Amino acid sequence: MKAFKKILSLTAALAIMGGVATGCGSSEQVVLYTNADDEAVTAMKNALDNNGYSGQYILQTFGTSELGGKLLAEGKNIEADLITMSSYYIDSAQEQSSMFLDLTFDHNTLTEYPSYYTPITCQEGAIIINTQALEAEGLDTPTCIKDLAKDEYSGKISIPDIAGSSTGWLLVQDVISAYDEEEAKEIMTDILKNAGPHLESSGSGPIKKVRAGEVPVAFGLRHQAVRDKNDGLPIDYVDPIEGNFSLTESIAVIDHGDDTNPLAMEMAECIIKNGRAELLETYPTPIYEGETADTEAESKYPKTFDEKLTVELLTEHKEFVDECR
Amino acid sequence: MLKKEKEIKAIFIFIAVLFFMFLALPVFFVLIRSFQTDSGAVGFAQYVKMFSSKGFMTALWHSFAVAGTSGLVTVILAFILAYTVNNTDIHPKLKSAISVLTVFPMLLPTITYGFAIIYSFGKEGLITKLLGFAPFEIYGFKGLVMGYVIYTLPIAFLLINNTFQYIDKRFVIVSRIMGDNKLDTFLIACVRPMIGTLGAAFIQSFFLSFTDYGIPAAIGGEFNVIATTLYNEMLGSVPNFSNGAVVAIVMLVPSALSILLLNYLERFNFRYNKTTETELEKNIFRDIVLGTLSVIILICVLSVFLVIVIIPFVEMWPYKLQFSLTHIISLFTDSSMLNIYINSITAAVLTAIFGTLIAYGAALVTSRSKISNKCKQVIESIALVINTIPGMVLGIAFMFAFSGTPLRNSMFLIVMCNIIHFFSTPYLMMKNSLSKMNESWETTAMLMGDSWVKTIIRVVTPNAEYTILEVLSYYFVNAMVTISAIIFIVGAHTMVITTKIKELQHYAKFDDIFALSLLLLATNLVVKGIFALLSKRKKEN
Repeated sequence: MKAFKKILSLTAALAIMGGVATGCGSSEQVVLYTNADDEAVTAMKNALDNNGYSGQYILQTFGTSELGGKLLAEGKNIEADLITMSSYYIDSAQEQSSMFLDLTFDHNTLTEYPSYYTPITCQEGAIIINTQALEAEGLDTPTCIKDLAKDEYSGKISIPDIAGSSTGWLLVQDVISAYDEEEAKEIMTDILKNAGPHLESSGSGPIKKVRAGEVPVAFGLRHQAVRDKNDGLPIDYVDPIEGNFSLTESIAVIDHGDDTNPLAMEMAECIIKNGRAELLETYPTPIYEGETADTEAESKYPKTFDEKLTVELLTEHKEFVDECR
Repeated sequence: MLKKEKEIKAIFIFIAVLFFMFLALPVFFVLIRSFQTDSGAVGFAQYVKMFSSKGFMTALWHSFAVAGTSGLVTVILAFILAYTVNNTDIHPKLKSAISVLTVFPMLLPTITYGFAIIYSFGKEGLITKLLGFAPFEIYGFKGLVMGYVIYTLPIAFLLINNTFQYIDKRFVIVSRIMGDNKLDTFLIACVRPMIGTLGAAFIQSFFLSFTDYGIPAAIGGEFNVIATTLYNEMLGSVPNFSNGAVVAIVMLVPSALSILLLNYLERFNFRYNKTTETELEKNIFRDIVLGTLSVIILICVLSVFLVIVIIPFVEMWPYKLQFSLTHIISLFTDSSMLNIYINSITAAVLTAIFGTLIAYGAALVTSRSKISNKCKQVIESIALVINTIPGMVLGIAFMFAFSGTPLRNSMFLIVMCNIIHFFSTPYLMMKNSLSKMNESWETTAMLMGDSWVKTIIRVVTPNAEYTILEVLSYYFVNAMVTISAIIFIVGAHTMVITTKIKELQHYAKFDDIFALSLLLLATNLVVKGIFALLSKRKKEN
């Protein structure tokens, strides 16, 4: 009998272990999944901590593709109560598994967004140059995306890869929207060839290479170049005439049915109400009424893609780029 | 007798149920899923689709090529090291330094090796800076081979070094007397008896490289291997679980074959009746050449890890090189980091305790009971099968089986996954130790009126204490450094150090990555040290 007791206690111990561990998982803390950059994460944390939510949430960061995959794969089963994520992914996930709640707080956006999310940041693409390196190489300043396909830029440009970065998608949108299929393919093929080893999997990879002077020209996020220029670095930016396409990242609350943590909606409101001021410092594009941008922060050719941005469209555009590799 | 069988049977049933629930069922889910398309149709459609996709076939070919090359390089290097330790007259202290330092990389997670290579040989890398140029392109084939060699060298060395100790060196003398030249002697008396082990070391190294996720995650770049393909299908931007299941099965097949081959090869291992200590032929040239070679190999391996010790203490690599404790301080004052560290320790401690209990129980069934052979064979085959299942496949199996249940993302699952993933070696260690003990202890004790449980606790356990300590330490260290299986299981509340490192990669926060790696290394060293002290005490008693 003693052996049975031993086994019984072992089983019980394992069960308790499981219980404790899963018990922790369902505690009252709000789980926030985010694909945001460091600056945005800090701004959100500050907003929450300064308004009495310190210690009541766990913030978990992911790469865009990983969090996107999790949303599509897990749907309502996802561990998170609250997410911030590229808006097109939220749209696709909602369509697939209606997993988000309608936001219950007031938020007066300048343009209209779906009822289940509201943007935290808006990020535009632009051409970024290192003025010193460009001069040293004796290159002309490019004025459009098509210029980057020219032979003279061979090995001199760095771009983000659409396969892993949504910033890379902004570049592809430029190419696809401005040129017919045949020409778009040629341009994309030549740009990829020119980028060679400087094809980056992260959206902020190219600007890092430009800062380090490894390449004189890159495609990247406009606000990062603006900040570098203001910091006195030899960095400048060019708004491509094909357009400054943009992506928003938004906040949404997961519908866990009866298990929905009421704090999640409160925290979403808190981030929008109290976080935007700090977010605007890094991502200066106005989204809400009452927000203003200085002239430098406003791009010359703001543009939106003709079709709605969805994961399906992203997949299509990825395939387009794969054919150009 | 009947009573004893009852207890053993209960343990057997417990273990069988455990492995059915947490191994057989989950893996079965993966198999089923691989035959289902997204629309629910059943058949080989997914396999046809994957095998006709160019990207997948390239990744598969890359995996074979890289793992094969690494295996070959690893075996050659490990052989040189083991030969130096066993067949030269270099200073004994140097010999033990070689033996200890070669296995050092085992205390770090593979994902760290990848980042360490980037910071050593990349454009801004430490070694690149010291040399003034980058010795080779790290992203892709060469970087992967380097990472895999560092990763698998310890295991290959342990295997080869072990066999060396059983080779009778008198055969060298015999061969020389027979008039063979030096090369022939070397081939006949040293390489030939080693063939089985060298083959085993190659296969083991191939298997580990083929299934590792940490190194390609860090430096694979555009060079896709099957492990990155599997990760992207499961957790990538557009996940496709059916595709993922197919990739998992495709990864499983060569792994299973290589382990079966390994077991087959074992039969051909040379067994000498007895080995004798013989004096080595004096040969200063040999000692200097091999000693230098070994030191160079070790310097190459360890230099890669230099950055782990340096970068966390530098203000901003490579631009501001002043000494700074900011990274370390911010790491220890960040409460979320502290939680992650606690999670890692919790997972490792629970894995060690419960893993050892289960391995002990399993070994009791097979080596100290008269239970039917069929039952024993069940446990034996569990141990064999687990060895063939890559960590990533196990992780995905858990994901399929437990997502949507309350167990998802739980510490319990992480611990279960670790216990099962690493079960084979602890089980074999326990079995080895238990089967060497006198078979009649339990019977004698029972005649004296002691119960079976008392006998196990009072007699068997104290005699197995040394092995138990080894098993505890094996489970602990492996649970600390593993990533490939648990990356699919962890959640926000159960993040551990290795998965946090993967997360920090997105922000290119390498100072934090290395600081965490250093913390992990320090923990492993402390724990290893404690266990070493304990077993030393045990021996002295």
